[in-house]
Amino acid sequence: MAAMTKAPRAQKRTLGQWAKSRDGQKVFVMVAFMIVPLLLLFTFTYLPFAEMVGFSFYNMKYIGARKFVGLRNYARVFSRDDCFGALKLSLYYMGGSIVQLALSLYLATILSFKVKGGNIFKGFMFFPYLINGIAMGFMFKFFYTRGFVFDTVLQWCGFELENLPYWLKDQRINNVSLVATSVWRYFGQNMVLFIGAIMSVDSELYEAAMLDGANRFQQFKYIILPSIKTIIMLNVILSITGSLSAFEPSYVISSGANGTATYFVVMHEIAHTQQKVGLASAMAVVLLCIIFVATILQKLFFKYVFRSAEDEDFNATAKRDKKLARLAARKAGK
Amino acid sequence: MKLRKVLALTLAAVMTMSLVACGGSTETTEAPATEEKTEAPAAEAETKEEAPAAEAEAEAPAGVPTYSQVVVGEDYTDLTAEIKWIHHKTDRAEDGTIDAMIAEFNKVYPNITVVPEAVTDYAEDSLLRLSTGDWGDIMFIPAVDKAELGNYFVALDSYENMDKEINFANQWEFGGQTYGVPYMAGAQGIVYNKAVFEAAGVTELPKTPDEFIAALQAIKDNTDAIPLYTNYAAGWTMGAWDAYIGTVSEGDNTYMNQKFAHDADPFADPGDGTGIYNLYKILYDAVANGLIEDDYTTTDWEGCKGMINRGEIGCMVLGSWAFVQMRDAGENGDDIGYMPFPMTVGGTQYVAAGGDYSFAINVNASDDNKTASMVFIKWMTEKSNWCYNEGGYTVDKDGQNPDMYSAFDGCTVLGDASAIAGEETLLNDMNAESELSFNAGGNAKVQRIVEAAATGSESFDDIMADWKAAWNDAQAYLEIEAN
Repeated sequence: MAAMTKAPRAQKRTLGQWAKSRDGQKVFVMVAFMIVPLLLLFTFTYLPFAEMVGFSFYNMKYIGARKFVGLRNYARVFSRDDCFGALKLSLYYMGGSIVQLALSLYLATILSFKVKGGNIFKGFMFFPYLINGIAMGFMFKFFYTRGFVFDTVLQWCGFELENLPYWLKDQRINNVSLVATSVWRYFGQNMVLFIGAIMSVDSELYEAAMLDGANRFQQFKYIILPSIKTIIMLNVILSITGSLSAFEPSYVISSGANGTATYFVVMHEIAHTQQKVGLASAMAVVLLCIIFVATILQKLFFKYVFRSAEDEDFNATAKRDKKLARLAARKAGK
Repeated sequence: MKLRKVLALTLAAVMTMSLVACGGSTETTEAPATEEKTEAPAAEAETKEEAPAAEAEAEAPAGVPTYSQVVVGEDYTDLTAEIKWIHHKTDRAEDGTIDAMIAEFNKVYPNITVVPEAVTDYAEDSLLRLSTGDWGDIMFIPAVDKAELGNYFVALDSYENMDKEINFANQWEFGGQTYGVPYMAGAQGIVYNKAVFEAAGVTELPKTPDEFIAALQAIKDNTDAIPLYTNYAAGWTMGAWDAYIGTVSEGDNTYMNQKFAHDADPFADPGDGTGIYNLYKILYDAVANGLIEDDYTTTDWEGCKGMINRGEIGCMVLGSWAFVQMRDAGENGDDIGYMPFPMTVGGTQYVAAGGDYSFAINVNASDDNKTASMVFIKWMTEKSNWCYNEGGYTVDKDGQNPDMYSAFDGCTVLGDASAIAGEETLLNDMNAESELSFNAGGNAKVQRIVEAAATGSESFDDIMADWKAAWNDAQAYLEIEAN
């Protein structure tokens, strides 16, 4: 792009001169650096995505002939009960992600102050994130099996087995059980991100705050929270979009049976078992749109909620300046 | 200086590009190599012509022999080739069975190198690989429409010839040609623990759904065993219930592939304890009466083998392939038995038998590799004893059946007949369109029966009405004549 716009302007120079010039070298370096990642990005992300969008207009299987059906697949996504019904389950996962963020923020704040054995705790809490999702699925299948790990632990705490629910069988709580595994897995990762952000806060601020008599909670509220709002926002957005596309817990632990099939699991079933590739592609595109909308809504929400003191001050001064200017203008007019 | 750096960078970029290009160029360099190879066997064929003239003449024009032309142990023993075989038997790859069989094969065919690859998620993975074309030489045919067979696989022989060589030659038959040979075959019945049935006082094997439920009830009342273990959590074990549709449920081996798709109301209750309705009703009733495991959502497939072996489970609805695994899972292998499905149509108990995954040869392979693959497949079918060792119903026409099928005496054993010409893809289309996917991974619909029976959320008739609606909608959409 740069080359094309620049070339006609510098008509006096020959191509060789241009190549030797600073402008030309800039372009060379840019192209050389960009071409590999862009090529990879294009080949493995945008090209398959474009293909998939193309698929969504066809009635097709993985192999065999395709038939163009226009928007019929999209109409089906909206008319089927199971597609959007599955999105209701995302509410469980969203609820879970809020718990997860609160928990990780709390732990991150505590661990960012001087705590005995802090690094060990960090390590233990981060560890679940390193476990492969499939292995985790098998682990929790046994964990929740009647009379196995979880029930045994609860029995030590004085619960009677008869009073305990069937964690995966009871349709009232099985989604909660699944969400809990996802919280367990990801809160450590969130926590580490939060700790990283909190570390970047200038420690002199705490000292100053302490001198002013601020307690730990006030320090959290007025120093830490405003300083790390960007990373909080990022985590919330990632968690919410993640909960819209939840897949692993439901697929691996309960294989989507017994009312635990999330949108992704339904999509997987349609794409691979029923081999309605077109319909599944349409579902994917619809989900993408939903995630876009959700992300934009969250951005707007945060813009409203996290209007920091500085911003308000800035607005206030701007308004005041305008007012003064108007008054001055009026005076001048007189 | 700067210019040099720029040059170096562009050079680096060019080199990375050429690296990518290299991936393509290796293929092109390989091609001449295979051509060289094909020249060699041509010479071999000539030398052969001198000795057994009649045989060689038949082979020479085709290049690749047909299945029936190959005489295992005599032909092509000096053929040199390397063939790749992708399969789903990860368990047999791990325990060395596959390697042992290939070693045995190499005693007769020392120059044919077989490179097996066990694929874990075979059903999906193989389909994806198939679409690339460059997947190897032999694979087990995944869920492909029969009309597509010729695009991917070599026709092994005419159906007529094949039918004389093997059972279930019609399984992958299209347009008069057979494309696949099952590595083993299975019969559809119920694997059960004889000791548990005896302890419960069930002396005679149940022959009808009512007798079966009564037997399960007896097990619950008189023993500590779980009468019927559903294996709900594994999923595919629920789809196993579909295997009894047609031959077993209707007593008609043409039903599944020829009539089912045209049936306007396949899920109606015929009232005599037969039909698809009563097949799934067994499951619904068993769950509703508490004759299954306590927590079905956490069933453990690997664990259930030991459980039935120890007598903690009465029976499981699984194909005959499961028998060997249950028998070998513990010390009480003698207790494990196999019985026909408890459904009697017009006074006869029918048993459905059919081929498992079938060997097929890549249509894009070189002639040499095709020939070597053909030899390997025929050797595996006739000489490897794989089918027998797995407890399979014999694929080779002259093969021998294991003892476990003794309970099948007096039953009529039938293999599903092929679809009518021109309607080969009908059932697949119906399965996909209705999303019920009978015998094609439709596990969710059977799991739903268990959920409904356990929670009481739906009556059995509601589910059947739902299935009928889905079936009829699919028939309407695909414009299939229903009656």
